[in-house]
Amino acid sequence: MPILVVDNVHRTYDGDGRAVSAVRGVSFDAETGSFISLMGPSGCGKSTLLHIIGAMDRPTRGSVSLGGVTFDSLSEEALASLRRKKIGFVFQFFNLLPTLTVAENVALPLMLDGARHSQARLRAGEMLARVGLSGRTTHFPAELSGGEMQRVAVARAVVTQPELILADEPTGNLDTDNGTEIMNLLAELNRELGLTIILATHSSDAARYASRTLQMRDGLIEHPE
Amino acid sequence: MTAYLAIFKQFILRALAREKLRASITVLGISLGVGVAIAIRLANASALESFRAATDSIAGETSIQIAGTAGRFDEMLLADLGWLRAYGQVSPVITGFAKIEPGTEGVDSKTGAAFRGTFLQVLGVDVLRDWMLRRYRLLRVSENGPEPTARELLTLLADPQSVVLTEQFARRHGIPIGSRIALLAGDARRDFIVRGLLLDEGPARALQGNFALMDIAAAQLAFNRIGLLDRVDVKLKRGLDINAAEAEIGGRLPVGLTVLRPETGYGQVEKMISAFQFNLSALGSIALLVGLFLVYNTVSISVITRREEIGALRAVGGGRLLVLALFLSEALLMTIVGTVFGLVLGRLMASVAVRVTATTVETFYIASAATETIARHSLGSIDILLAFALALTLALVAAAVPALEASRVRPIEAMRGAERLRRAFKPSTKQLVISLALFALGYGFSWFGPVNNLPIFGYLAAVALMFGGAFLVPNVLWLSCAMTGRWVARVMGRAGVDCMLASANLRAAIPRVSISVAALAVALAMMVAVSIMIGSFRETVSYWVGETMVADIYARPLTRSSTTDEGEISELAIAAAKADPQVAAVYPFSTQQLNYQGEPIVVGAGDFETFLKYGRLLFKSPANPRDEIQAAIGRDSVTVNESFALRFKKRVGDDIELSTAAGAHQFRIVAIYYDYSSSRGWAVMDQTTYARHFPYARPTSMSLYLEPGADAAEVIDRLSRAVSGGSQVLFATNGALKREVMRIFDSTFAITYALEVIAIAIAAMGVITTLIALILERRREIALVGFLGATRSQIRRMVVIEAFLIGGVSQTIGVLIGFMLSMVLIYVINVQSFAWTIQFHFPLGFLIQSSVLILGVTAVAGLYPAARATRIDAVRFAREE
Repeated sequence: MPILVVDNVHRTYDGDGRAVSAVRGVSFDAETGSFISLMGPSGCGKSTLLHIIGAMDRPTRGSVSLGGVTFDSLSEEALASLRRKKIGFVFQFFNLLPTLTVAENVALPLMLDGARHSQARLRAGEMLARVGLSGRTTHFPAELSGGEMQRVAVARAVVTQPELILADEPTGNLDTDNGTEIMNLLAELNRELGLTIILATHSSDAARYASRTLQMRDGLIEHPE
Repeated sequence: MTAYLAIFKQFILRALAREKLRASITVLGISLGVGVAIAIRLANASALESFRAATDSIAGETSIQIAGTAGRFDEMLLADLGWLRAYGQVSPVITGFAKIEPGTEGVDSKTGAAFRGTFLQVLGVDVLRDWMLRRYRLLRVSENGPEPTARELLTLLADPQSVVLTEQFARRHGIPIGSRIALLAGDARRDFIVRGLLLDEGPARALQGNFALMDIAAAQLAFNRIGLLDRVDVKLKRGLDINAAEAEIGGRLPVGLTVLRPETGYGQVEKMISAFQFNLSALGSIALLVGLFLVYNTVSISVITRREEIGALRAVGGGRLLVLALFLSEALLMTIVGTVFGLVLGRLMASVAVRVTATTVETFYIASAATETIARHSLGSIDILLAFALALTLALVAAAVPALEASRVRPIEAMRGAERLRRAFKPSTKQLVISLALFALGYGFSWFGPVNNLPIFGYLAAVALMFGGAFLVPNVLWLSCAMTGRWVARVMGRAGVDCMLASANLRAAIPRVSISVAALAVALAMMVAVSIMIGSFRETVSYWVGETMVADIYARPLTRSSTTDEGEISELAIAAAKADPQVAAVYPFSTQQLNYQGEPIVVGAGDFETFLKYGRLLFKSPANPRDEIQAAIGRDSVTVNESFALRFKKRVGDDIELSTAAGAHQFRIVAIYYDYSSSRGWAVMDQTTYARHFPYARPTSMSLYLEPGADAAEVIDRLSRAVSGGSQVLFATNGALKREVMRIFDSTFAITYALEVIAIAIAAMGVITTLIALILERRREIALVGFLGATRSQIRRMVVIEAFLIGGVSQTIGVLIGFMLSMVLIYVINVQSFAWTIQFHFPLGFLIQSSVLILGVTAVAGLYPAARATRIDAVRFAREE
């Protein structure tokens, strides 16, 4: 059974009396451990779709379910809980909290979920070691390079052992070498931990790491399955 | 200029309109600060202005005055002053205050109520002689009648029961010519008939028309000064040099008389209340400074939250100077609006300020006339100009730092993502050193003496300590955040992450938030210091009252109160008390004001034998001077109060020279006692010594010691009946008087509490606006935390914990600095201002209570910013990403 089911999802915004459809009926499934890339030009709706899949936004029509749990019936608190436990995010601009150390940034989702401080720190340490940053645990984000920050972001995304990783242009703010490093890391995590990854990108180099690519244009998936 | 105004409107005014709450809080804070400063200035000014106006009105064209060196003098001396006529016009004067008694015909024209006791300044003169010195204009009896002459005025006053009031007073109280009034002078009640009314000129203007004119003989009778004069006023001939004449006359006067200028009294009063006014002004300045701190805060917040907009403005060609001018203009605009409201508020608050100061200062003029003066006082153009000049200057200074920061924002900051990463604050040794150096400086300043009797160095010490505390804030904040993040978070369970986030956020924001925390800490420090000082003072006074007020009954003439120094107790009242079978001893006490080294002091006298048997004082030196006081009976010896000893730097064994009826005379100090009833210097001697040197003075109060088992209330009842009709005496039991003393004490300090509450309220507003600014600045981080799964409760708790940390740090530093400030207040400022020793008392209960309150208030203050934080839309943030 697919871990993720996106069924006829629409998302329309009302602006100045005019309705704008960012997503116009997208449907697809993702099997556990799959690596899917969503490709398309800017404004095609891939980020909007990612937000809906990530329980950050609600579709105007259609539904999303993750691990058998359909999002429509969940309250805001339940969605927040879902994001904490089951979904990991990697952003283009890293989005680390500048006031927390590297270790604290990685431990944050666990602590938000109520984990004990010591346990959260231990797990964070393990993930940082996994991404090759065990020597930087007490540093602040301002002291890291772009690639290092993104590796911290990846560690944060996987620390809760989520069912799904959503990565929105993770290499968009990195040079080629660092970008390659991050994609390799994601691919390794996909292989070793069996993480399901959905990657939104306009870079064909990044998309090559995925086992399946969905092309989006004007809110629709071209050649849907 | 037009272009600038257009940009100002678009860039600043629209933003202010969007942030109405924050702008309103700032304007309110400035209004409060300006209002308090204006109120105190008006109160201080009106207090002296009314006295000066009264002095000038009554003095008229008097050039110099001849007065007794020991107060009143024998009128026979006037016969020896015939040579004064060669210098000009001479007019003997009796002057005093009288109270209009209940039962007088007439009603208050405003309230319609039966008329009740108001004080009148009474002038008793020989009208024919006085006509050339003072302008008297009688109300014309008929429309076309001639102007009344001096003789006609004399005729009106010929009858000893005649009195002339002012038209202003008569109109106000509905007293027509011909009506009967009862006047209370001292403890004697006498009936008078109103024979005429003076128009609003000359002495009739004194004290808003609370003035009465009598023939000098009638005044001597009314005030029980038969054969005595208070002074002789002299109007010098044209062409005579006043200084030369003063010197010549002074050289020719017999022993027992001295020459003065009419304005001498004004100078004395000014000195008397200067310390009090200075302290009040200093307190008021704090409210103004804290209010202007909000200007700094608001402009800072503008800059923080609009960095990208500023960057965009710069990117499209706006220069640094334009940006600087825009933010300075924002500050000036809010200050102008705040000052306008502040002026109105200040005028309203002035009446309250005057009423409060009236209970503190011991001069009738100030008590009642100041209240009347302020009621009529509108803000002058000088007041308004000064208010604006001061507020705008301070606003520019306050806004300069953030406005300069704004002008340095680079165009690149218009790009999204720039400047997101910040370095965390690290503890600063430099700030710690500055802090310690300021503490040392404060300690050093506290060793200096007063300057012109004002505790200038005391206040400098206080300022140094406050700044020292302010420089401690960043390091203490860092330490608190580190401890909260490291230790507290571990034991807080599920709330541990909230503590971690709050402490991390606050730690990163230390450079931003330190000013707010420092302002709140300083306001709290002042509150703690003043509370400790007042608490200690109250404990000291309460102990002193308990130890020294041991008589069973206290009696004074009805005209004498905490604010009036007039009136004597008649022999009838004293005799009635002595005759009562339940009265064991009567202790009449006499007082009068004298000049000592240019300052007003009180010379008092009582029967030392009775005092040694029944009375009690707390002595500073020696600890138990029974033998010295016994030896002082009948001798030229005095005991002085601590104020006298400190002010004039005298010790036991020193001699002081007092002006007596027979000229200057030396008296030896045999003891120094603690005295909290007055901030003036007192010198007290045995009654036989007093009678010898001040033959015309009479008892002004008395204390009664009852037989064991006697009921004070019954004795009072009996004595009141015994003296009624002939004497108007107010009797009070020991308990009632003690309660009254403490009531006056508490009301005196009410204004300081009010000022403190205002300062704290303003600072708390600053905390709220700062927290809001921090939330706006890190809205992306807050949205991210929400994105990562934090609930609204968690975000709310995080902000409230930040507010709690701010409150905790402020209160901790506030208590520490407040404790140090209280030492300065008690041992330096108070001693130099009022010459009182206060026993230090640490009000632990109050401090615990206030700490809990402050922590609660700041946590509650965090709720609004917390609510704003929870409204940050994580989805919109994600979309923007």
